[in-house]
Amino acid sequence: MKNFWKVAISFFIVVLIGASYTEYESRVVEFTLSNGLKMLVLDRGEAPVFTFRTYADVGGVDEAMGETGLAHLFEHMAFKGTSTIGTRNYREEKKAIRAMEEAYQAYRDAVQRKADPDTVQHLQEEFLKLRAKADSYAVTNEFDRIIEENGGVSLNAFTTSESTQYFYALPSNRLELWAVLESERFADPVLREFYRERDVVLEERRLRTESSPFGRLAEEFDAAAFKAHPYGRPVIGHRADISTVSLTQAQAFFKKYYGAKNLVIVVVGDVDPDEVKRLAEKYFTRIPPGEDPPPVVTQEPPQNAERRVILFDVAQPQLFIGYHTVEFVHPDRPAIQALASILGSGRTSRLYQRLVKQEKIATGVSVFSGTPGNKYPGLLEISATPVKGKTAEALEPLIYLEIQKIQDEGVTPEEVKRFQTRAKASFIRGLSSNFGLSGQLAFFEVITGSWHNLFREPEKIMQVTPADVQRVARQYLKESNRTVAFIRTVPKGGK
Amino acid sequence: MGRKGFHPAFFTLCLGAFFLLLAGRGDDSEMVGRKPPPLWKTLKYPPLPAFDIPHPRRIPLSNGMLLLLLEDHEFPTVDIEVRIRTGSIYEPADKVGLAGITATVMRTGGTKSISGDELDEDLESIAASLEVGIGQESGFASLSVMKENLGEGLKYLSDVLRNPAFPEDKIALAKIQAKSSISRRNDSPSGIAFREFAKLIYGKNHPLARHTEYQTIDSITRDDLIAFHRRYFKPNAMILGAWGDFDTDDLVKKIEEAFAGWEPGDVNFPPIPPIVAPSGPAVYHVEKEDVNQSNLRMGNLGFRMDDPDYFPLSVWYEILSGGFAGRLFATVRAKKGLAYSVGAGMGASYLYPGILAASAGTKSESTLEAISSILEEFQKMLNGEFNEEDIRYAKESLLNSFIFNFDTTGEIIQRQLTYEYYGYPADFLERYREGIVKATKAEMLSAARRKVHPESFIFLTVGKSTDFDKPLESLGYGPPTMLDISIPQD
Repeated sequence: MKNFWKVAISFFIVVLIGASYTEYESRVVEFTLSNGLKMLVLDRGEAPVFTFRTYADVGGVDEAMGETGLAHLFEHMAFKGTSTIGTRNYREEKKAIRAMEEAYQAYRDAVQRKADPDTVQHLQEEFLKLRAKADSYAVTNEFDRIIEENGGVSLNAFTTSESTQYFYALPSNRLELWAVLESERFADPVLREFYRERDVVLEERRLRTESSPFGRLAEEFDAAAFKAHPYGRPVIGHRADISTVSLTQAQAFFKKYYGAKNLVIVVVGDVDPDEVKRLAEKYFTRIPPGEDPPPVVTQEPPQNAERRVILFDVAQPQLFIGYHTVEFVHPDRPAIQALASILGSGRTSRLYQRLVKQEKIATGVSVFSGTPGNKYPGLLEISATPVKGKTAEALEPLIYLEIQKIQDEGVTPEEVKRFQTRAKASFIRGLSSNFGLSGQLAFFEVITGSWHNLFREPEKIMQVTPADVQRVARQYLKESNRTVAFIRTVPKGGK
Repeated sequence: MGRKGFHPAFFTLCLGAFFLLLAGRGDDSEMVGRKPPPLWKTLKYPPLPAFDIPHPRRIPLSNGMLLLLLEDHEFPTVDIEVRIRTGSIYEPADKVGLAGITATVMRTGGTKSISGDELDEDLESIAASLEVGIGQESGFASLSVMKENLGEGLKYLSDVLRNPAFPEDKIALAKIQAKSSISRRNDSPSGIAFREFAKLIYGKNHPLARHTEYQTIDSITRDDLIAFHRRYFKPNAMILGAWGDFDTDDLVKKIEEAFAGWEPGDVNFPPIPPIVAPSGPAVYHVEKEDVNQSNLRMGNLGFRMDDPDYFPLSVWYEILSGGFAGRLFATVRAKKGLAYSVGAGMGASYLYPGILAASAGTKSESTLEAISSILEEFQKMLNGEFNEEDIRYAKESLLNSFIFNFDTTGEIIQRQLTYEYYGYPADFLERYREGIVKATKAEMLSAARRKVHPESFIFLTVGKSTDFDKPLESLGYGPPTMLDISIPQD
């Protein structure tokens, strides 16, 4: 009886939510500029502020061999200004940057051809001298400074396997300033202080990967899970690639992937869509249309053998398990999301109940679908942390037992209902911030081909049945389709 | 700039920036006059549209509980946050961890009428969340619920706050979790730096710095939890804030119903030992062999936010370390490439003096170079090497972004909760704004000289010292004191 009541309540929520979000859909204004740049605008909210998201359809997967990390490094460079922002004298600076780059190419070439040490040292000194000259024209961080003195907040950007996204928020009377800055950044970027920023990115790699046990494990896990598809490569880049990539390569990367046709920009907040359109036509048309960059054609072959990675480390144990699944637009994706949620989301999920509450063998467990990305087939990924004194291997069989149980006996209607109720509530909460909503609209536009699909999500989620969940569990969570990576703790100076 | 990529688990890592700009900007004088000004400089901004800042209703209940309520009908959700007058600083020294475990088990252990596991099911079935936590100086309970389930959610909230069952099974679970996190505490280099630096500033046994050990967790009993809860959880020691899709009068009624019969009572807080500033300069080091990047912290004891130096020093710090354009960020990161994360906090806290410190992560081989670069920026700022343009810029940054203090109802309520909780005036933010506007260079400088003391800084490095560019002795303060961070076993 009690359960009946819950199901009834969930249904009620669903109906009620249905009324509020469709209104949002009708208020999104969409237009495409003559250069192919797509913009979405939503006027919402009371406070006189707005935020935006520039979504560049390029990420780690688009990098060539030997250039890993370039998408992310370019993201850093997109804060370095333009020919009118960030320079003391652009004419002179341009010459100095060109001279520096020639010196760098000569130096790198000598290193790679293993020239004699004296020659290498001489070329390095020459490069460093010219770098200092080029840097001397820079007004460091002027781009950031203009945004911040105009009240900009949440200024940042990030790069994933398949996207590069830029954002900040401004008071709404600064709309035109935003249009000028954001268009100029991609119409006329100057990649100044490039070789300094490369060092900054190496520090970022030390922070996130090399000096972090979790980062060390994640990099090994991704590399093991994908043997052909570039999802297996680190977005931050391999150390050797970051250390040798040149300004010329970064400029070529920009030219190839930052044409207007490859950008989607979403503006959300207290803005007049007509005004946004007028400013967009005035400023954003300065961005050249660019090419249609090719998608990744490499397909990950079916995995026919379990892969295991053991990281011997002084840190405490950690376990990752991944199964190859599907891309976001695949019809099985909602059921896989339901499976991930039933397995590992919240205190009532199966793995949490078993590992954390009952056996008291893990401090936490989570399950994600769609890692490292959504554009191409990704993974359903389980991450579990053993309690003090337990190993990662001790958790594994219990996780497989719980998966087996779903494969054999299926899941209950209540579990699916709970997933649906929670997914829809988090959908609503996701719409409530300008930041979240702009990201969602951009994601659906690029990954699914239309932002309208964001508003179809609740229906998709509602259609999932217990039988679907059992079927995808059987189909995808197979032993042979599994990659397992874990930390085995060893004393200092061990293995 | 937080600028990064990868794993969904990492996704939120975008490095929040308390970072930093550069002196000596300005156009090349030769060029000025010959060129048209850059486009962005030619823009004129209309005034910001008038905006009625929403004000919460402040309603004291007869049982002493204070309500702060703000309607927001855009989405069919309601959020509640209760601030509770308690904190881990009040737990006994031999039972460090008691406050946190009490809070955890209030939630996971359920109440006298519903078990924790049933509570999990009921809440997740209505997509609600209810959490309880206790930090150093305050406790909280939060409820997030779809509006149709508000009555039900409030009932659970009240039950959890008033009638926790504290079953032994869930206490054991919470203790295993607490001990597990102790076992992992040396895996994160920045975690080590923050933890150990706090002990160097406040003293290792001070309630603001001490931390759990296996022994302190082991000594905690169910009776301790019951006593801790009984001592601090009283309606008159709570402020309840709510924002979302409700009718205020109706919500007041619902809250009164949910908490009916709960009697107020006196709460006595144990005294907190006085804080004695550490004597510096002094250099400390934690050896960590599995890293190639050093974590640096350097600074001194901070101050309370109601100190008159707070406003002028905020402007000073904006120049040194504000956003992505502050000086530390521009020199240590952008110009020298020495760090990805670098920044400085001024150490202004509500109740006790905070920690005034700069921090950075730099490769082992540039550890001493990074320290001296940071010190150099402090020194320039203390010497008064900033001009009216720098001050104008810092003030504009702080003031033009002011509207973002009011753009969501949640942050309006949470800020008022904070002011009420710590006894700050309700218009403290407005006073802050006025203080920023009025601050002069002379005031900024004298405030900085009173509060920032590089000549007696405490320095801490966490890293692999054999790879350092220079020995730590080169700071000129003698050999470093090596800190032993090995975990005392049970």
